[in-house]
Amino acid sequence: MAGANTHGDGVDTPVLEVSGYSLSYATSSGPIHALKNIDLRVAHGQTHGLVGESGSGKSSLAWAILRYLPENAIENDGRLLLSGESLRNRSLSQILEIRGRRISMVFQDPSTSLNPAMRLGEQLSEVLVRHRGLTSQEALEESEAALARTGIAKPRDMLRRYPHEASGGEKQRVVIATAFACNPELIVFDEPTTALDTITAQQILELFNQLQDETSISALYISHDLGLVSRVADVVSVISSGEIVESGTCAEVFQTPRDDYTKALLGAVPNPKHWLGVTEPPPEAPALMTAKGVTVEYGRQSLVGQLLAPKPTHLGAQNVSIEVRKGELVGLVGESGSGKSTMGKVLSGLQDFDGTVRFGDRNFARLSEIDRTYRRAVQIVFQHPDASLNPRQRVQEILSRPLKLYGIVPPEQRAERIANLLEQVRLPREFADRLPHQLSGGEKQRVAIARAFAAEPELVICDEITASLDVSVQASVAELLVSLQRQTGTACLFITHDLNLVRQLAHRICVMQHGRLMDAFHRDDAEKPDRNPYTRALLKAVPPPASQAA
Amino acid sequence: MTLGYLVRRLLAVILVLFVVTFAVFAITMILPGNAAVMILGEYGTDEAVAALESRLGLNRPWYIQYLDWIGGILQGDLGQSLRLSLPVADVVGDAFWNSASLAVTALVSVTVIAIPLGVLAAIKRGTVADLIIGMFSYIGASMPEFVTATLLLIFLAGPALGLFPAGGFVSLGESVGGFSSHVVLPAATLGLILTAHISRQVRSEMSEVLSSDYIRAARLKGLRERRVIRRHALPNSLAPAVAVISLDIGYLLGGIIVVEEIFAWPGLGRLLIYALENRDLPVIQAITLVLATVYALSNLLSDIVIAILDPRVRYA
Repeated sequence: MAGANTHGDGVDTPVLEVSGYSLSYATSSGPIHALKNIDLRVAHGQTHGLVGESGSGKSSLAWAILRYLPENAIENDGRLLLSGESLRNRSLSQILEIRGRRISMVFQDPSTSLNPAMRLGEQLSEVLVRHRGLTSQEALEESEAALARTGIAKPRDMLRRYPHEASGGEKQRVVIATAFACNPELIVFDEPTTALDTITAQQILELFNQLQDETSISALYISHDLGLVSRVADVVSVISSGEIVESGTCAEVFQTPRDDYTKALLGAVPNPKHWLGVTEPPPEAPALMTAKGVTVEYGRQSLVGQLLAPKPTHLGAQNVSIEVRKGELVGLVGESGSGKSTMGKVLSGLQDFDGTVRFGDRNFARLSEIDRTYRRAVQIVFQHPDASLNPRQRVQEILSRPLKLYGIVPPEQRAERIANLLEQVRLPREFADRLPHQLSGGEKQRVAIARAFAAEPELVICDEITASLDVSVQASVAELLVSLQRQTGTACLFITHDLNLVRQLAHRICVMQHGRLMDAFHRDDAEKPDRNPYTRALLKAVPPPASQAA
Repeated sequence: MTLGYLVRRLLAVILVLFVVTFAVFAITMILPGNAAVMILGEYGTDEAVAALESRLGLNRPWYIQYLDWIGGILQGDLGQSLRLSLPVADVVGDAFWNSASLAVTALVSVTVIAIPLGVLAAIKRGTVADLIIGMFSYIGASMPEFVTATLLLIFLAGPALGLFPAGGFVSLGESVGGFSSHVVLPAATLGLILTAHISRQVRSEMSEVLSSDYIRAARLKGLRERRVIRRHALPNSLAPAVAVISLDIGYLLGGIIVVEEIFAWPGLGRLLIYALENRDLPVIQAITLVLATVYALSNLLSDIVIAILDPRVRYA
């Protein structure tokens, strides 16, 4: 997709030019430097990818360009030029004339960036009313045409809906139509697909490329996802700790990266061809856990509730059967709402269910039958370590809980065992005295993993444990899990939405959609043509990263 | 708004009122002595009491009495006051309209004052204006009605200024001016705490909405601040405020008892105190029932308003 049109109509002035720009935020503990001496140009008709991890300053740059900075922001005298005119030292009313008309923005999460109490039509058409002086009726008619261009089948109907009546993909199309509505010189895209499901994200990406071809708009595309940026951008800048460490055309940066940080970032992008997992258990290895016909019904109501406000129940999981063998890693893949986390809750004994779960030589038919022995043998690690670690407990207290509860080691050996556990997850033993807020996101997730392994389980359920982490941290957490598996022989059910990642780790992969198990296959068979159509669609939506594919 | 939502809410209100009638009726069963004993006083002979009991039907099983009572209510017959020798419906009816005129005056002025104050405090967050509104709110919220009432009486009705009468009542039908001058002090007493409460609520909702993603998105569309506040922020912060206002009606119904007594306002509150002192059971029952009905209906009304403000509620 690179180099679609680097020069539109012979205009040499770049649409956006940032040079020597620095930004810091004044805080009570001194200034925090968000951006250091940034140089960046977006040429006419070009898509410039800005790649960085959380805290790299990539969003600060977007706020600086849109002149939407908090009061404690301190800027140096660097330049911010839009088509040659400075964006700085403008009055608020001048800025308001520029926003939405000359620079517009597409946000990360359409479910929070749209007003829940306003119809989509009004939210789209209000920019036309504001900037082009149309009447609301004219604006609505034009909105309908704008929405049709984004591939919405019944635009008139969509305009009358409220945000909660539209899907994530439809909402993001409305946001994109709004950004394109006044034909701006520059559109800033801030992670526009991160909050969407894999397949929807793919469709939005295709829409972006299609609109880019049609309108030759200039875009600054901000993302943490290198693989994704390689599919939309002509030029890429990599930003780390507020500095642009590398900049060049897509091909240059992805095939011959010069900077170490870029190389590390590229290396951390999950690639199914690069196997990380443990050796597969032999075919005769006994089944450890077998779930048969598990069904979970949400929203069951009391008798009075049914009388007053009857609501349909909702099946979180429907007749799902999954098997995990000793020492095996099984991937459970699906989009949000597919029921994969519901299965994780059932198997870790947090959710009532119908059906049977067989573990070792014992059978369980409902939540109340799940006992202490089972809970010790099956541990779970959650997505958000911030929410799953008690913020008021020190690491040693967090890790000693399972040791005490299941009497793993005598009290006098506890401190030593905690130190060992920390070393196993590659954290210094001194971390035992720390509180969760003194750890980084990746370190917290390591503590959560250590807590699960402290109980010496036979099966660990990992529910999206890498989803809230940066790409480079993701890779090291996945690698850690595998090395623990190698040391302990523990089996693992790895729940994720990231097909590329799971194909690096899992021996077998199960795919869920709308609460049903759609497909289950061995990793070698992932690309066989007889795969379930849904699995094929998922695979198609996440092509392997560009560098290796090229 | 969907019809189904309305019907379900209405059914819930009816269920609540049914439970209330049951509780109110139970008062007569739990309290020592019955209506016959009260009418005849402590000197009534056992024979006289028994005779009156059978005349009033008090010796029938409780559920028959309950059904009889409910049947009466549904036909607008609340029984006879034991002390005033008047139909309860007439006594309570007059007092109800007097109270309603006071409560509605208080509530409307509170809403008109508190919501803009809260919005202003949120927009000017951290400035002197916010600080002053905040201080006023904390003082207002921490003073009980009898203190507020005394202060208002001393300063505004006292000999120095004498702007308003210290008590009494003129109905709206008699003279609009007379009603207005009499209603100011009791309404202000009731309103002060509510104003403080509601403006705080609006401020915190509004601040939260103002820091939301969709407000940022609206500003980045280049919309003028006026439209951002009025069209984008206000509807979203009012829905929770309306919920609080409807809860505050519960407070208002309690506060009115104190305030009416202080300002000699002939409403339900004064009547309730009179009835309690004189053990006038049918009147106590009727007032309790009226207050509960007002509360349930105002909650229903607020649910409807919230559903209009927030489209997501309609389908919940």
